[in-house]
Amino acid sequence: MLEIDDLAKRYGPVVALDGASFTATPGRIVGFLGPNGAGKTTTMRCIFGLARPDRGTVRWKGQPVDRQARLGFGYMPEQRGLYPRMRVGEQLEYFAQQHGLSGRDASAAATRWLERMGLGDRAKSKLEELSHGNQQRIQLAVALAHDPALLVLDEPFSGLDPIGIGTMRDVIHERAAAGVGVIFSSHQLDLVEDVCEDVVIIARGRIVAAGPIDALKARSGRRHLDVEVVGDGGAWLSGWPDLTILSRDGDRAKVLVGIDIDLERLLASARAAGEVRRFAYEPPKLSELFMEAVAESAPREAVA
Amino acid sequence: MPRWRSVWLVARREIIERGRSRGFVLSVAFTTLLVIGSILLPTVLFRDDGITPVGVVDPAPAGLTEALVATGTQFGSEIEVSAFPDADAAATALEADAVDAVVSVPPDLSGPGTIQFADEADDALAQLVSQAVIGLRVQAVLAEAGVDPVALAAAQDAPAVDALDPREEGDEARFLIANIGAVLILIGIFSFGFTVLTGVVEEKQSRVVEVVLSTVRARDLLMGKVLGIGILGLVQLLVFVLAGLAAVTLSGGVELPATTPGAVLLLTVWFILGYALYSTALGFLGALASRMEEASNASTPVTTIAMVSYFVAIFAVVNDPSGIVAVVATFIPPAAPFVVPLRAAFDAITPIELVLSIAVTVVAIWGLFVVGARVYAGAVLQTAGRMKIRDAWRSAGE
Repeated sequence: MLEIDDLAKRYGPVVALDGASFTATPGRIVGFLGPNGAGKTTTMRCIFGLARPDRGTVRWKGQPVDRQARLGFGYMPEQRGLYPRMRVGEQLEYFAQQHGLSGRDASAAATRWLERMGLGDRAKSKLEELSHGNQQRIQLAVALAHDPALLVLDEPFSGLDPIGIGTMRDVIHERAAAGVGVIFSSHQLDLVEDVCEDVVIIARGRIVAAGPIDALKARSGRRHLDVEVVGDGGAWLSGWPDLTILSRDGDRAKVLVGIDIDLERLLASARAAGEVRRFAYEPPKLSELFMEAVAESAPREAVA
Repeated sequence: MPRWRSVWLVARREIIERGRSRGFVLSVAFTTLLVIGSILLPTVLFRDDGITPVGVVDPAPAGLTEALVATGTQFGSEIEVSAFPDADAAATALEADAVDAVVSVPPDLSGPGTIQFADEADDALAQLVSQAVIGLRVQAVLAEAGVDPVALAAAQDAPAVDALDPREEGDEARFLIANIGAVLILIGIFSFGFTVLTGVVEEKQSRVVEVVLSTVRARDLLMGKVLGIGILGLVQLLVFVLAGLAAVTLSGGVELPATTPGAVLLLTVWFILGYALYSTALGFLGALASRMEEASNASTPVTTIAMVSYFVAIFAVVNDPSGIVAVVATFIPPAAPFVVPLRAAFDAITPIELVLSIAVTVVAIWGLFVVGARVYAGAVLQTAGRMKIRDAWRSAGE
């Protein structure tokens, strides 16, 4: 298990991390979310010793992370980069060896991952000869070839086409199923909702929400109601002052309601107004939870 | 995983990637051909076996052949005389380059005669032949006047030639080897030191350094880079030296002094020390830059120091290898790689000085490496603009 404990880091006047703590467990996929500049990349760099925190520790299996532990991690930085003129097969081998694999194992791993990425015939190509999407695949393979116990991916989906996104998602699921802990950051919240069970939301260097997505949703005080009553034009809603109408389109309305609303009475009231063609009651989407969590953490003057 | 393996993997990658690049192979092949060519070509084109063929038109005065050979010996050149029945036959031989000059003197020595060349007159040869002919004619005149021929011959002996401080055999070759050595060290530092510099900037620019440093320590990465590129530099140096020595031996033009193996060993040692010192400095200066242009600016102080050291070596030290400038420069690490091999080539350095200068330079390399590696670690992940050394130092503080 990876424990991020009270990390703080300043770059001159800029506070990048301000006491961030969370954990990543084997076999679980954690979506690491936050606005730009919230501290995601700095956190990841602290895990790999690329940034030295002013305060706090990163622990792996209860011990502070050292070089030996990091050899068992896989990293895909936000700023992608490999050796442009190096052959991709040798490149994979090189990084696998740097992670401690023997020459033979590294060579086998390189072949296996090139096949897995559908690039088995490109082993002798230079990286710069591959398309952008294929270079991304190699970058992922570099993070995976040594069979890491922890996978840290910074914006793995950015710049990928739908097929690439599919491959990335499959690989992440497959690794998690094999017991690997996965942390990945992303701004594509629908994708995050689709890929992972847990999220950690960071804002201004602090963790503002963390836990399983379902739990966060259940904890939210708001629900969505998508309702359509034929012929009424939405007039029946005026009898319910507590709810907020988000949008109205003829007979159909999207409404925000409190979690304590009496659903039975609401439905009865709609039926009384006409034929109910649609009545969908749903928890908020991850993107709303995200906005809510980030906004709540903002200093008061900024909200006003 | 042991650290040495990590360092070696970095070094091996550099050797393989750069060693098989077309640029490296071509540059080694080209410069080797250049070295061999510049040594062999002159001896092939201007083959000089030391024998000067001279034609004489018959009938010739008695004793002309002997006089020519004797005067030649006096001037240090071997004259081979061949006789031709008439002027036409001699001219044909001259045109065919079978003889260098044709001498035609009346058999009774009544006139000075002529010396004929194919195109351009060789002044030295003309003077040599003239002296032989003049000697013969003066002898004839004086013999007629009744002068004792033995006393006359004795009067024609040349003065003995001597030097207060005679140059030893091979001094020239030594000087040549020392100078070539200094140039090789300079070229090695510039070409391979700059390979380290550009390598560091490229890794930073292509952002691969973040992936590398997630497993490799910054210090190990710098060390592996310097090591790998240094091995390539050493290979190139040895190819040069071997090619040069082979060419010199084949041409037989210059006799190699007995001190050659020692000189080559010393050159190799100082090539390694000089390269290690300068490439470490260039490597961490490269880490401070984020673009190539900035890197060349950042490296200016280092290249200036290298150039100044080189010129101090080839002017001040060659001029006075045991002088105060030479002795002081021996213990200044950036200057020592240029100065010490030169002084050693002139036998102007004591073994103690030599050992001490190596020790001082090794300590300097180690110190520079410790400081440089920390600056490198602090700077190499900063991609926004040029960084100050002090900031990089602080940013990597443990």
